[in-house]
Amino acid sequence: MAGTGKRRWLEITGNTGRPDWCLISFAIIGGMLVLLPLLALINITLGQLADVPYLIAIATQKQVVDCILLTFGAGLLAVIILLVFGTPLSYVLARTESRLNQVVESLIDLPLVLPHTVAGLMVYILFMQRGLIGAPLKGMGIVFEDAFPGIVVAMLFVAMPFYVNSVREGFQKVPVHYENVARTLGATRFQAFIFIVLPSSVRHIFNGCILAWGRAISEFAAVIMIAYYPMVISTLIFYRFTTGGIKESSAVAFVMIVACFVVFLALRSVTRYLGRYDDRV
Amino acid sequence: MIEFDRVSIALGDFLLDKVSLSIKKEDYYCIMGPSGAGKTIILEAIAGLLVPDDGRILYNGVDVRGVPTEKRRIGLVYQDYSLFPHMNVQKNIAFGMRMRNLPDHEITRRVQQLMHQFGIEHIASRAPLTLSGGEQQRVAIARALAIEPELLLLDEPLSALDPVTREQFIDELRTLHRDQGLTIVHVTHDRRDAVSLGTRMAMIIDGRLVQEDRVGTIFSSPRGEPVARFIGYENILKGTVTSCEGGICLVDIGGMGEVAVVAGAKKGDRIVLCIRADNITVFKDDGTETSARNLFSGPIIRKSVSGSLVTITVNIGVEITVLVTGKSAEELSLDTGSSVCISFKATAVHVIPWSE
Repeated sequence: MAGTGKRRWLEITGNTGRPDWCLISFAIIGGMLVLLPLLALINITLGQLADVPYLIAIATQKQVVDCILLTFGAGLLAVIILLVFGTPLSYVLARTESRLNQVVESLIDLPLVLPHTVAGLMVYILFMQRGLIGAPLKGMGIVFEDAFPGIVVAMLFVAMPFYVNSVREGFQKVPVHYENVARTLGATRFQAFIFIVLPSSVRHIFNGCILAWGRAISEFAAVIMIAYYPMVISTLIFYRFTTGGIKESSAVAFVMIVACFVVFLALRSVTRYLGRYDDRV
Repeated sequence: MIEFDRVSIALGDFLLDKVSLSIKKEDYYCIMGPSGAGKTIILEAIAGLLVPDDGRILYNGVDVRGVPTEKRRIGLVYQDYSLFPHMNVQKNIAFGMRMRNLPDHEITRRVQQLMHQFGIEHIASRAPLTLSGGEQQRVAIARALAIEPELLLLDEPLSALDPVTREQFIDELRTLHRDQGLTIVHVTHDRRDAVSLGTRMAMIIDGRLVQEDRVGTIFSSPRGEPVARFIGYENILKGTVTSCEGGICLVDIGGMGEVAVVAGAKKGDRIVLCIRADNITVFKDDGTETSARNLFSGPIIRKSVSGSLVTITVNIGVEITVLVTGKSAEELSLDTGSSVCISFKATAVHVIPWSE
């Protein structure tokens, strides 16, 4: 860890042999915050492990598996759309200075501050069958209300700021000099972007994807405003909570927790090794 | 080869203002000036990364306004070297050739040749961020040369190097310029770079070209006070000509009497006198005779030692900085408070017009 200024947990006393009271007190204060999700996780886990056969029965239910796959798939599609449209937008925001940028950035950040029901309502009004976008697309056979595309646009709407902000920050960290040099060496603007800027920001792009995907699959309010059906996992949990009670809904929730934990752990492991050269940019 | 014809470029509050300069083939052309003067903007304009708001840039007589950067055969090395962090040394050097669609065997051959030339074969597979400053610079120059440029642009390439590596690199750049006949434009704010390497140079101050000439000419005959200050004249005095006879003028600089200078001036002219600290002789006030026209005495008010040299400031009505060797300082017991005589020849004074 030398040179990074970071210490391993066991080195918290420092190499002087004296305790580093600053780090120790901060660790205690910060630990209070970690306790909250940890206790919640332990609580639900113990509850579920008390009746493993029931948990397995719930986890293997076709509806639960389908909902999880639908949620993950819709989130993935939203992320792919963000990759295609959000990446160029992030680059423009990173490489230009204009008052228009502030307006665009505020628009992108809007879903961060809006109540999710409001975000859902905005998406619904735009994509409903009589909506500005929904109406013409209905003529082409694409319907958003209570349909998979509706889930994707709702997820896209709420996940947008997470992706764009992360990737824009990544692009900003790539010195313009890299592109200038690449161009003197014979690369066009597009080639400089593809061969130099994109690989140099790969960690931020990947992080943006993880954040956006996480945000997308966790969305509930915005999704149900436009598409109660087909049910995403959060809708199913809400449905089971109102119809089957705490035991049934928490079993579904626990399955989702395990699935998310496994997926995010795998993704974060990839991030550790992805684009390490970027650390010192 | 490259001509700037009244080029103006505005970037935010900064303005490169009607700069006209001329870089000839096989020049080692230094662009010198303080930080923020607009030197890098000139380099980027040559490379086509910035387009003039006004004026023309001619490349071999042709206006290159519409020629994109990638179509100009110009190598560029920034101060931070800007090596692509996701490519190893070999790939960095090969990048330009790949963009130009050269065949693989030709790329491999040329990369090997450049790595051999710059002595970096042993770091071929290393990531740029693991290299030392000197190694990074060698890779950056090899990468720029890989496209066989007609012109090499260097943006303060020596400023981040330690003194030993810096000296080595000055030799390598000199060899590169001499042996390959490469035209090099080198931006620097360090006058040592210009003196060691440059054949011709431009002085840029506050976005304006204030002087362009051979390096020796600029250093011996700066055209204005800002240039004189920047190239290191330690003593810059302002005065009024009181009389002229036989090419020698007496100049009243106030407080210390008159200074004799060689100048084509007339009585009443206001002029600036530039005297290098090492052109002034110092001796004890013991009646020693000297042929120098300018002889003054006064106390030493400051003394600083830098290596084998000692800088003293003598108050003769105005403060005059004098450079002596440590040995002389010791022999003459030059200490703060002691009284000394200083002298300098009329020909040692460079005279420039006094512009407000």
